Amino acid sequence: MAGFVLRRLGFAVVTLFAVLTLVFFVVRILPGDPAMVILGDQASAATIAALRTRLGLDLPMTTQYARFILGAIGGDWGVSMVTRRPVVQEVLNVLPYTLELTGLALVLGVALGMPAGVWAAVHRNRIPDYVTRIVSLVGLSAPAFVSGIVLLLVFAIALNWFPVISGGQATTLAGRLRELALPAVNLALIMAAYVTRVTRSAMLEVLSQDYVRTARAKGVPTRVVVWRHALRNCLIPVVTVVGLYLGILIGNSVLTEIVFNRPGLGKLIVGALAQRDYTMLQGMMVIYTLIVVLVNLATDLVYGLVDPRVTFK
Amino acid sequence: MAIRIRTFAAAALIGGACGVFLGAGAQAQTLRVAVPGNDMASLDPYRATATLDVNVVNWIFNGLVRIKPGQISPEMIEPDLAESWTSTPDKKEWTFKLRDNVQCQGDYGALTADDVVYSLKRASAKETSSFFADYLAFQSIEAPDAKTVKITLKEPVPSLLGLLVPYHGGNIVCRKAVEKLGNEFARTPIGTGPFQVVEYQPQQFVRLQANAKYFRGTPQIKEILFRYMASDSSRDLAFQAGEIDLVNGKFEDSWIKRMSQLPETTVDVLGPTEIHSIYLNTAQKPLDDIKVRQAIAHAVSRDALVKFRGTMLSKAADSVVPNGYLGHVAVPLPQYDPAQAKKLLAEAGYPNGLTIKSIQTTLPAMLTTMQVVQSQLKASGINLELALVDHPTFHAQIRQDLSQIVYYGAARFPVADTFLTQFFDSASSIGKPTAVTNFAHCDVADAEIKAARTEPDIEKQKALWATAQKKIVAAVCAVPMYEMGQPWAWKKKLTFAYKVVGSLGLSPPIDETTRLAN
Repeated sequence: MAGFVLRRLGFAVVTLFAVLTLVFFVVRILPGDPAMVILGDQASAATIAALRTRLGLDLPMTTQYARFILGAIGGDWGVSMVTRRPVVQEVLNVLPYTLELTGLALVLGVALGMPAGVWAAVHRNRIPDYVTRIVSLVGLSAPAFVSGIVLLLVFAIALNWFPVISGGQATTLAGRLRELALPAVNLALIMAAYVTRVTRSAMLEVLSQDYVRTARAKGVPTRVVVWRHALRNCLIPVVTVVGLYLGILIGNSVLTEIVFNRPGLGKLIVGALAQRDYTMLQGMMVIYTLIVVLVNLATDLVYGLVDPRVTFK
Repeated sequence: MAIRIRTFAAAALIGGACGVFLGAGAQAQTLRVAVPGNDMASLDPYRATATLDVNVVNWIFNGLVRIKPGQISPEMIEPDLAESWTSTPDKKEWTFKLRDNVQCQGDYGALTADDVVYSLKRASAKETSSFFADYLAFQSIEAPDAKTVKITLKEPVPSLLGLLVPYHGGNIVCRKAVEKLGNEFARTPIGTGPFQVVEYQPQQFVRLQANAKYFRGTPQIKEILFRYMASDSSRDLAFQAGEIDLVNGKFEDSWIKRMSQLPETTVDVLGPTEIHSIYLNTAQKPLDDIKVRQAIAHAVSRDALVKFRGTMLSKAADSVVPNGYLGHVAVPLPQYDPAQAKKLLAEAGYPNGLTIKSIQTTLPAMLTTMQVVQSQLKASGINLELALVDHPTFHAQIRQDLSQIVYYGAARFPVADTFLTQFFDSASSIGKPTAVTNFAHCDVADAEIKAARTEPDIEKQKALWATAQKKIVAAVCAVPMYEMGQPWAWKKKLTFAYKVVGSLGLSPPIDETTRLAN
């Protein structure tokens, strides 16, 4: 397995290099100028040109690229063009917020989605199934900014149970959970909807297998058949969806971060894009790529845990 | 059953953890402010250009002089760090006497003339200031002694005092702090003002603490929590829920109406106002023909635009310079008259109308305005094609002369010269090294704008500015549409010791006199 992991990490380096190269050139092709953002709209063209020189933006693209790649290899990701703070520090400042939000959303999404999917499958084409399918469809369709505002209106304004500002200021675990609850639920709704539908579909397939009929014929109670025999065998597609969706979840977290006023990677990348902060965008893309690669690797490894027939070569 | 029990147990655990800790604690003497935006860029006063950065800088620094708190007119200048000043008859040498007992925030000691000299030199250096161009007339800045600052000018600058108020380059920093903190100064700047930055959490807030050593007295508000909240809805909900005391609102009448209905809430629109105009590129066909420009001016209905934006927030513009700016005069503008517009187009050789292209930002407030203009022009036979781009691209492309019409809204230091120079002086025309925002390539009032800059007699200076405005309107370099201020709402427990008309920092002035009831 160690060889498998090392090989995958080797591929990750190649992927990272490709992403970095692509991002480097794409952000520079976009119209817009970080020097103008820094200096504001009252700056003269000459002042903007002088700052571009100072930032090295007037150098040939190839020279800029060579500098950037050499720096990246040496672990120097540069400083944000707008804030002049180190990119790594900027990312590390907000990364924990994104990880705790997406982590909890993932747990909630699976905790809600899997039982719902199983419930729907077991009650196929009956009221519980219809209800689950409709609710999951709503979960998939409702944009995060709409569901977020609805959650705030109900739980923060009408019931006053949670704060509107979930800024991660709390110092206690309980306080942290209280601030995290609504954003995590908001993000988990979409995740739960996905997991519900995939679990239902996988469970329906497994429940039609011969061994399930045999188990039932032997008099094994339904709950044991469903939860012990069938569930484990429908986990592979669920794990795949969870793994794939985790990357998307981190990307999608931006709307939740904005609505609940939480810091996070999503807000950082949107800000960097609006300000044409090239160095920050490059650093962010590395982090996103790393996360996606590592999550995919972890997903592959989990296959071996849920299905003993899977071996790593 | 075991699964069901475990599910309920998990739900109970989450619910319990959330439920036990409900209820927010009291926030006595902390003023909680929320503004639109994701994060701070820089609080270095010479680099702070974004509104949300200028908002905070507003509470940290002093200038040699200041505009009377709550006011925005440069005619209301009064002493700040300087207790008095004199100038030579030719207005080229100015001497400022500093007041005693001004302390820098933190442990940076007393403010001296050396700090002031250092600050103004830093404000006028290209390497350290975005506003250095404002100080090009400065020949030397010296400190003959610890309490005296002497400024020598290359040429008289009648509005010199306006450059020394705590706004942009006029903010005075503490030299030791700048030198010690280096890049960190942009996040935790040190001035002499009523509040000092003590904490910054990226994408969340800046915390400011009352400066106990403030020379006008310790502020009554002990702390300001300045939050960055990008979501308009969340910002309003946080205000409604009592988590925010002072909030910067949306540029919409509906926002003002909605917030006005909240209990214990004051809503106001503060100056300086920004003017929204469309600038017509006189260097490109067909807009190089004044008849076409006049046709556009007659095709735009200011009243309809004001109605669209809302009468509580906006009012029709009456010049190319906003109301309230020193030197503004109301100039008769072309009236809405589609028939006249069509007639002018026919005279210009376009009896069947014409098509004009415009680069347009997708920012909703600006886009919707331009869509209204588009429909108004259509009624007069002018087809306005909007090329929609994101906001950074918009700013880049309008500075590359790619747009025949540029829609721009701006507030500036409230003196006519600022607007006239940046938007209508030919030296500021797009494409030149000295370019700023003269998208129209207007040059009809160069002589007046230049002469007014050095005219020592204020009445003559105002007359020159008035002539410039009339000439620009006559040449239809721009079609002024409407003006609007900064919408703010605050809880009634926040009270000001004076009437607040506006603030150069675009945020209400919070100082030693401002009170926040528990």
